[in-house]
Amino acid sequence: MAVVSHSPSMPVKSSVFKALTKTVRREGLSVVLIVALFTIIIGPMLTVVLWAFADVWRYPSLVPTQWGTSFWAETLARADLAMAFPLSVGLAVTVTLLSAVICLPASYAFARMNFPGRQGLLLSFLATNAFPRFGLYVSIAVVFYRLNLIGTIPGVILIQIVNTLLLMIWIPTSAFQGVDRSLEEAALDVGASRVRVFLQVTLPLVLPSLSAAVLLTFVSTFYEAQGALIVGLPNVTTMAVLMYSIINSQIIVQYGAIISFILWLPSLILLTFAQRFVRGNAISAGFGV
Amino acid sequence: MPMAITSTTIPMRRAKKRDWSWLAGYALIALPVLIMVALIFYPAVLALIDTLFVPDATTGVTALSLSNYQAFFKDRILVANLLFTFQVTLTAVALLFVIGYPLALYLRFSKSRLASVVQVLTLFPLFVPGVILAFALIQFLGSHGMLDSLLHAFGFTGFRTPYLQPQGVIIALVWESIPFTVLVLTAGLRQVEDAVVESARDVGANSWQIFMRILLPLSLRSAVIVFCLNVIGIFGAFTIPYLLGPAQPMMMGVSMQQTFNNYQDRVGALTQAVITFLFCAVVGLLYVRTVTRGRKERA
Repeated sequence: MAVVSHSPSMPVKSSVFKALTKTVRREGLSVVLIVALFTIIIGPMLTVVLWAFADVWRYPSLVPTQWGTSFWAETLARADLAMAFPLSVGLAVTVTLLSAVICLPASYAFARMNFPGRQGLLLSFLATNAFPRFGLYVSIAVVFYRLNLIGTIPGVILIQIVNTLLLMIWIPTSAFQGVDRSLEEAALDVGASRVRVFLQVTLPLVLPSLSAAVLLTFVSTFYEAQGALIVGLPNVTTMAVLMYSIINSQIIVQYGAIISFILWLPSLILLTFAQRFVRGNAISAGFGV
Repeated sequence: MPMAITSTTIPMRRAKKRDWSWLAGYALIALPVLIMVALIFYPAVLALIDTLFVPDATTGVTALSLSNYQAFFKDRILVANLLFTFQVTLTAVALLFVIGYPLALYLRFSKSRLASVVQVLTLFPLFVPGVILAFALIQFLGSHGMLDSLLHAFGFTGFRTPYLQPQGVIIALVWESIPFTVLVLTAGLRQVEDAVVESARDVGANSWQIFMRILLPLSLRSAVIVFCLNVIGIFGAFTIPYLLGPAQPMMMGVSMQQTFNNYQDRVGALTQAVITFLFCAVVGLLYVRTVTRGRKERA
């Protein structure tokens, strides 16, 4: 023992070993978490993607028994899909634009102007989160029934706008509040007009948050199914609403898998921007946090 | 020098603006406020009025009556639906805390380079819409689905699918709400400074004590917001229980949709809607109050 402790290499080795076990222990937890989360969270979506490229897939094979894309032409030729896709894109674009036009000036006012009841009115938009969603949709649908808005595109646009209000007002409001006023004042002092200050100083500073709000609104509207289902049927069938009937009457798994895969692409693109939103806490602001 | 100039010019500009700017403010916010009143408060109040004022069967004169609500609570199926909704909500919210807090603590304190991978994975469900999630989980959890095959590969047989069972609904709702839960809980834990945790550890507190006595109380607001929004969100869920849940009992969202679309019973659907409003009102008010307080303290 005495000999060993006198050996000069031992303390170094043991400290290296300690550091190693420490990293293994630390990274071990990360690895376990990643494997578990990957299975539970990515697993279901991976299954869909595999099904989209499977000609035959028999239990208990872990991958398709026969790979292929023979169902794609058939799926893409479906008449309901050809109707629903442009409708969904058109609706999402319309709702996002309308919501931006309605909400962005308001968010500027909430951030910058002084008027009685400003805080209370801003907080009142939390109501969109404080009601159980589907109960609210049913109440709106009853009102729309009297106004003959059931089964019409304006009806669907209106019910989908409700969903976007909180996000489109709170995220930009906190962005406008975050702009350093002294920068604007400095620009004004050197003779820039108010419009120019807004366009060249304020707007570039809030643009990342504004685009986050617009993008999130577009994607969430594109996928909104519940409001569109209860107000839109029987005449207005969006892609998301179409999924209900595909799931409930699934005969061929590949149909649903291919449509899900196509439908999911915009979200996948958004996912690549996700890290940036999180760092800016933009998503939290959308929940009223 | 420039500093001195700007600091004197700011009050002057503000003073000049003050007399009219409040009107401009109202003009700019009028439209969204109007939409909110017309599409949230008005339908909710109308639902209350429509269900409370019942036309008499013979005379047709409307009078204040609780008969719609009595009918609801006499209907065994509807009461079972309400209880089922409670059960699912409480179980799912409890599970979300059990899963969410360890993940949030990990993301807050881990110095691992792999932590960002864990973060991306926890956020992933945010970008999977409900209808697609439902389809994906049917293929994953269904009998002879992916999980069944995986378990089979490891030698487990006798897998019983949670699809069309209450467990399936709970799994899907938890799956869907994990990003929001972890995001907000992590944000709350970030507000607790490292120094506070370290000094507690120096005086000999163990991890559990640090969590219960320091981290939880200091990030209570985020926990309350998570609780409220998860309760309301799950109580008012439709897509997941409709596509993954059992036919009987149903969650309230499904029950309302069936009453509205299949039976064309608008008053019946509204009665159920108002009942969900009332049960969520306490939680909704708690949410609004918590956010309000948080903003006041920050300002």
